[in-house]
Amino acid sequence: MKTKLLIANRGEIALRIIRTCRKLGIRTVAVYSDVDQESLPVAYADERYALHGITPSETYLSISKIIEAAIETKCDGVHPGYGFLSEDSAFVRACKEANLIFVGPTAEAISKVGNKLDARKTMHEAGIPLIPGTDEPVKDEYEAAEFAKKAGYPVILKAVYGGGGRGMRIANTDDEVRRFYRVTKLEAASSFGRDLLYVEKRLRSPRHVEIQALANSGNVISLGERECSIQRRYQKLVEEAPSIAVNDELRKQLNDATKKGLGAAGYTNAGTVEFLIDQENKFYFLEVNKRLQVEHVVTELTTGIDIVEEQLRIAFESQLNLSQNEIHVNGWAINMRINAEDPRRDFTPSPGTVIQFHAPSGPGIRIDSHLYSGYSIPEYYDSLIAKLSAWGRERTEAIRRMQNALEEIEILGVPTTIPLYRVLLRDKAFVNGQFDTTYLNTFGAKLNSELLDLGVYAAAVAAVMCSTNLPLRHRLQQRFHRSHWKTSARTSNQRRDM
Amino acid sequence: MNGKIYEVAVDQTGKRKFLVSIANETFECHSFRSDDIISWSVHRGDKTLHARARSLHFDRVDVWLAGTPFQAFVHAPSGGHYRSVDTAGSNASGGEIRAAMPGRITSVLVKLNEQVESGAPLLILESMKMQNEIVSPKSGRVKSIRVVDGATVKKDSVLIEID
Repeated sequence: MKTKLLIANRGEIALRIIRTCRKLGIRTVAVYSDVDQESLPVAYADERYALHGITPSETYLSISKIIEAAIETKCDGVHPGYGFLSEDSAFVRACKEANLIFVGPTAEAISKVGNKLDARKTMHEAGIPLIPGTDEPVKDEYEAAEFAKKAGYPVILKAVYGGGGRGMRIANTDDEVRRFYRVTKLEAASSFGRDLLYVEKRLRSPRHVEIQALANSGNVISLGERECSIQRRYQKLVEEAPSIAVNDELRKQLNDATKKGLGAAGYTNAGTVEFLIDQENKFYFLEVNKRLQVEHVVTELTTGIDIVEEQLRIAFESQLNLSQNEIHVNGWAINMRINAEDPRRDFTPSPGTVIQFHAPSGPGIRIDSHLYSGYSIPEYYDSLIAKLSAWGRERTEAIRRMQNALEEIEILGVPTTIPLYRVLLRDKAFVNGQFDTTYLNTFGAKLNSELLDLGVYAAAVAAVMCSTNLPLRHRLQQRFHRSHWKTSARTSNQRRDM
Repeated sequence: MNGKIYEVAVDQTGKRKFLVSIANETFECHSFRSDDIISWSVHRGDKTLHARARSLHFDRVDVWLAGTPFQAFVHAPSGGHYRSVDTAGSNASGGEIRAAMPGRITSVLVKLNEQVESGAPLLILESMKMQNEIVSPKSGRVKSIRVVDGATVKKDSVLIEID
């Protein structure tokens, strides 16, 4: 394609998009904040453009700066990646006015499924079941509590303009509604620029399943489902394709609902319709993700389709080159999101410098990451630092490959979610596919007891390190004579024999 | 974990081989790659774990095992015997509320001298796009507030003191 594309994003997804552009011969422009200057996408892109500033609002969320960058570098279009401006209709309009092609849905399609309340309305009209919720944003915490009283607890407070699992809190009591209302509103304002909230009833132990779709002017094809039930705080951590919980009948229902819903919205480009599945296998519409998703990788592994390439073809050539009967789901794929977060401390963010990074490999392994040894993970953006995916002919093979990869991968310097996944992959319920969105809630204790067992190994290594540590040895030699060292070593042997 | 102390005996058995005893357990440690960060294989019975470690000061060691970081302070009361303390889990001391992560204070929710209950929200700290509600670990009086709305804080800096 003879095109030049600005990538209005950072980190692993910017890198991911650049890779496809290189394959297609599309020239790329990377934009970057002050702290991202030395990041991999900036190094890999054909051109780079400084946004000047650090916080998202003065850089990757600044419509005027991004548009200016695209015009100055003479780009034909913009790929927004996920997060930031990817679902912002004002940005889509600004691109149009500047004669830039936005790689994503049209402003008209976005307005039909733009925010969560609009999407619920569109889907409801298309006959897709909804979870009970308020039709309008709530005015204050008291109105939120009022809905909760009617619908019954637990409920979820949701940012109307939210996405990607941010700006959501479950509340179990009136008191929690009041407390979480404030935090959720703040989070909504800082992440999405608008702080309107609405309230939904929370289903008991649902599964989260979503359909990846590609569309062109309401002509929709499905690339199959993804299972995304392993979450914490509404952030997906592990995704699979296909879902062990979806049988052929449910799959057909979900695919039909997706085609009907996105068709009614006249949807264009890549999109995902998310559903919750209750314990009776009934499905409910959750939301539409109008962008490339983090977990698109698992669908690429099972279908062999480069979703970013299809996005670019739809955006620049106005055509969907694939038809439904060309889509075949082959084997099984699992993705694990490696975040700079400490799973031992309730997923506390852990930005910092990566001293050492080693990527795993082998048949069926894919890693999407912008890390390198010496890279400094900034505290201003998302905590996702790597996506590790494994493909297998069946689920068991994918799990085994993932286990190996998790043994091999090395990210030293910051706590990550890796230990959680190592424990998870050995957990019977996970291996048997018996889990829902509440699965991780009780996982902390299991993880901590496993890690407690490792403490003694760490103590052994630490002690040996000090015994071989030169400065220490010098000090010891000053304090104790060499013969004394030997004597005490013997003492330790005797002690062990006891 | 959480400040647990281990009494360790170390015995060098070869150029890069060590026997380590902790309580009644024996560990065989082999180092096999030495740059800044040394690789170790640790054998205990028939179980083998790979570890990576580096010394920061003469008594501080970072150890990574199974994807998990451990920080140890090693005290050597006599040659060959060491006490390893994992400090990774302990960051609360007295009534000082410290930042568990670097970030920005979005809002301070309490006033000076206010009485707070254990579990009451004190302030909101934004890091990596997440709003983290910092709650009081105990009931008491707000003795000092060291931050204001919008302040950027470093990891481990004191935010609030509770009496």
